[in-house]
Amino acid sequence: MISITKIASKSLLRKRLRSILTLLGIAISSWVLISLLGFNQGYERSLDDDIDNLGFQVLLTAKGCPYEAATLMLQGGAGLRYMPDTVIDSLRSMPEVQNLTPMLMQAVFDPMVGENGTVVAYSGVDPATFPKMKSYLQFEKGTWFSDPTATEAVIGYEAAELEQREVGDLILVPEKNVELTIVGILKRSGTQDDGTIFVPYLALQSIFEVQGKLTSVGIQVGKDVDVTAFEDKLYELPDVQVVSMAQVKSTISNLVGTARVMVMSIALIAILIAMVGVVNTILMSVFERYQEIGIMKSMGATAGHIFRLIWTETVVLCLIGGLLGAAMAYGLAAVTESLIRYLLPYSPKGSLVYIDGMLMLKSIGIIIGIGVVSGLYPAWRAARIKPIEAIKKSEGEL
Amino acid sequence: MKQLLIIALCLLLTPLVAAVGCDLNDPDGDIRRLFPESTGYKTSYRSIQREGGRALLNTIENRLGDRFSGLYETIDNPYTIYDVFSGTRKIGVIHGVNQKGRTGGIQIFLALDNNGIIKKLYLQRISSRNNRLYRAESFTNQFIGLKLEDFDRWNVARATGTGKVAAIRNPVANDPDFAAIMRGIKKNLILMKHFSQ
Repeated sequence: MISITKIASKSLLRKRLRSILTLLGIAISSWVLISLLGFNQGYERSLDDDIDNLGFQVLLTAKGCPYEAATLMLQGGAGLRYMPDTVIDSLRSMPEVQNLTPMLMQAVFDPMVGENGTVVAYSGVDPATFPKMKSYLQFEKGTWFSDPTATEAVIGYEAAELEQREVGDLILVPEKNVELTIVGILKRSGTQDDGTIFVPYLALQSIFEVQGKLTSVGIQVGKDVDVTAFEDKLYELPDVQVVSMAQVKSTISNLVGTARVMVMSIALIAILIAMVGVVNTILMSVFERYQEIGIMKSMGATAGHIFRLIWTETVVLCLIGGLLGAAMAYGLAAVTESLIRYLLPYSPKGSLVYIDGMLMLKSIGIIIGIGVVSGLYPAWRAARIKPIEAIKKSEGEL
Repeated sequence: MKQLLIIALCLLLTPLVAAVGCDLNDPDGDIRRLFPESTGYKTSYRSIQREGGRALLNTIENRLGDRFSGLYETIDNPYTIYDVFSGTRKIGVIHGVNQKGRTGGIQIFLALDNNGIIKKLYLQRISSRNNRLYRAESFTNQFIGLKLEDFDRWNVARATGTGKVAAIRNPVANDPDFAAIMRGIKKNLILMKHFSQ
């Protein structure tokens, strides 16, 4: 005996073009849904990775705007305000502080870079503490500075490649007329460090005549430390601002929050459109098969059989459409990612669209769920068809 | 599927990423300065890959006496050529190359007449603390009138030579950027010889 699934498949194949168009609608909606859910997942992961790569949980900066501080940490750039380096002694006396590293950002206009010159930033770091915090940094060639006050530089992979710099080459600090000797080139890390020029902060203080000044201090706290309470304690220090990684994450999440709400709304609209399309297709199918359904009923098919038949057609359409959409989302993830990266105000370095098996299963589940709901009404209407009336008329009124 | 698409995208984007050419920052002003009698110019782009591929690269390297290496010396590196006109008459050509120096990349432009003779040397970019000495006319004017055949007697690997080129004075004693500039000029002249054929 022929099964209900086979009858449903045959019915769908009878009107191929309409079935394919409906499938495409469902597939595109599924693609949008899975891509956006993958974006939500990937963005969080990449942001976490970016923040982990900073190597510290709390950043202490001179008092200023929190967005400036967040930018300083994630994008690099010149510190806008200074704090005295005596703050290090105060921090070292705090039991919550596990490790700390003083930092000094400086920037200078280099007329030789680009068409009209550009601002080149130098990141002053402490060779004794900074490498421990950035344990992921590895050397392509060379090593860290020979001395905490040496006029030496360690440069990121891209900074070296673009300028064809090698260990032993020099970097001229424009305006200051000081040459830094390159002692190390880092391996590509996929972070902002790839384009950074690291210099011992004491040397940078001397070059830029800002002795005794810092722009920030990176702090690693103990695992059992209450970071919120520790932040409050840090605010007791004069003229400082505390930026925790949780704050940075929250600030960036807020920045992109509006964009995320918008894209999720678009996804919802796409799903609603697909649902209406499915209902319309199945209703049309029932409408055209009005007489056929009547004959089936007169031959012994029950209302339950008809209901299941129409419902199965809907679910089959949604299942195939969902699978197709999942394949599209997975295959076109790179394209989706570049589009999102173009639109967002800030995007972390890692993969922005992360689609795994679980996400695809969940999304296909949602699409099938939509199919189940969308099929209810047409199936119910089909089940209510009266056989005598249906056989008399070639087409029904639904 | 995902890998295939990524590979396809990478292949599409590779030429864009690899395109590290050497253009004049202010073509209108620079060309008027290098060829005061010019009334216009036409820009074209060449690459070793397109003009002759690996065989041409070998020929260029042999004549240079050194191997191409690094980001700016790839086979597909695009070279910008400015054909300079006075009215409808072509009066010369300007071409620049990137050359690794001790303090970063050096951008070396040559203004050549129709016979490939240097009319002017223009160092658009040199980050060395001695950049003023290298960009001074007392240094750059030494190259006026020289041609590729003169540089054939210059060994870029040893930075030594004979003939007219050997007489060029290094403005900064024992500074390695001098050797880099000489290599860049010879490379520029060789490339122009092949691109103008």
